[in-house]
Amino acid sequence: MVKSAVWKYRDGMISTHPALETFPAAWPQIPDWARPSRDPNPEDWACFAGAAFAYLDVALRAPGVPLALLRDRLALRAAVACTALTGRPESAGALRDAVHLRCPGDSAGPAGETYLQWRRAVARPVSCAALHAVLPGHDLADVTRWRAAGAGEGMPVARAVAVLEAVLSEAPRAETDALILAEAALVDALGWPRITPVLTPGLAPRDLRRTGADLWLACHRAIVAAAGEAVQLVSDLSRRGERLRAAAPCLRARGAEEAVETILRQDAVTPGALSVLRSDRAARRFCDRLVALGVVRELTGRDTSRLYGI
Amino acid sequence: MLRDHLDRDLADLPPEGRWRAWICRIEAVLFASAGPVSRADLARVVGQGISIDLLIADLAVDLAERPYEVARVGDGWMLRTKAAYAPAIHAAADAGGQDLDLREFDFAVLATIAWHQPITLAELKEIFGREVGRDLISRLHARDLIATGPRAPRRGAPYTFVTTETFLAAFDLQSLADLPDPEQLADAGMAPDARP
Repeated sequence: MVKSAVWKYRDGMISTHPALETFPAAWPQIPDWARPSRDPNPEDWACFAGAAFAYLDVALRAPGVPLALLRDRLALRAAVACTALTGRPESAGALRDAVHLRCPGDSAGPAGETYLQWRRAVARPVSCAALHAVLPGHDLADVTRWRAAGAGEGMPVARAVAVLEAVLSEAPRAETDALILAEAALVDALGWPRITPVLTPGLAPRDLRRTGADLWLACHRAIVAAAGEAVQLVSDLSRRGERLRAAAPCLRARGAEEAVETILRQDAVTPGALSVLRSDRAARRFCDRLVALGVVRELTGRDTSRLYGI
Repeated sequence: MLRDHLDRDLADLPPEGRWRAWICRIEAVLFASAGPVSRADLARVVGQGISIDLLIADLAVDLAERPYEVARVGDGWMLRTKAAYAPAIHAAADAGGQDLDLREFDFAVLATIAWHQPITLAELKEIFGREVGRDLISRLHARDLIATGPRAPRRGAPYTFVTTETFLAAFDLQSLADLPDPEQLADAGMAPDARP
């Protein structure tokens, strides 16, 4: 059904088949009864969180979901939340710029470093050694102990809260590190292979100062909000990914297939990162073509230093 | 080469002797280093999986009576003399090379970079209402207080400036979160504007 999309390329004018405008169909979203009403009881939040996790679990296992791209974008949202936690004003766009416009060897600045840390955290399967590698401020022994705080029985959110409390009681300033470890506890409990931030993006700056039942409630609220958005994101990215793949056969540039795969793995790319296309100019033309086809977006709205993503 | 042959585990020593030897090694490494030493580097001179934090805590106890202390800087530690001995050091020792030797305006620019990083020369000019000279920037560079950050998404893709670990060490900050809060500054009547 993907191949049936008809692409006309005549006199430099490009038109898409009308079916592509809505193709593929939107995914089912979390039903209304599983979304928080105006003023739910504290215990209801556990039910909402469970429903959100169940939906997200099904969505993540669906075929064709660009998982690496999804994790990269969730990492960006988590980094934005952590940047706000430390009182810095940077937006998602600023974090993207810092990471993608950095020359090799240069610092990405404080906010950019936070995003880099999250990107490294979501890139590898969860293990004590892998986590220690992205948390250079702590001993391996500490990381192992904190991981143990979230192991064992209990529901996923409770385990994440246990890790948060364990880390923040010993290292109150290490908010980002605590949240990375809490996300790791979540995916351990959910049986997902890599960190997929669904708690951090929903947290408000003051939430981490809470303890006990307040922290428990804040984490549930955060997860219900962030996991609901993540389900939406999975649906969006899958559809856009399908469209990009459907457009791939009419791209004749050498290296186009690898370039499309790169775009499908990352939140954003600079044309310079598409070195498989052999030259900057070719990469810029390639990106412009994808934008003209309507399968890739330019993310910054600028004329120069552009970033592309689906 | 020596590093490869270092006996990290010290299996022939009794446990207390081993712990003491590791503390001494860490003190020696910090003593010999001009700047902060990272946790990963310190972990290379002690046994596998040993908690650097515990060793540092014991070292700090050892140094309680000494005129110098172990200070946390970013992700690492350094030895430095306690502030109380500053007058004595200034009176007798040749510490001129360590002096930052910056002018008042240099400090103002450095503070602005610290709060607004990553920031370009053009943005600094906007904040101060006057040109910030390249020689000032290179003075800060030469003292390793600032480094280049990501290129700004503007015409000409100018470099931005960010602060370094040395900056944290020089101003006794553990991390940038120790900088006074913008809200505190606003209360004190010197609010930095939000970044454009």
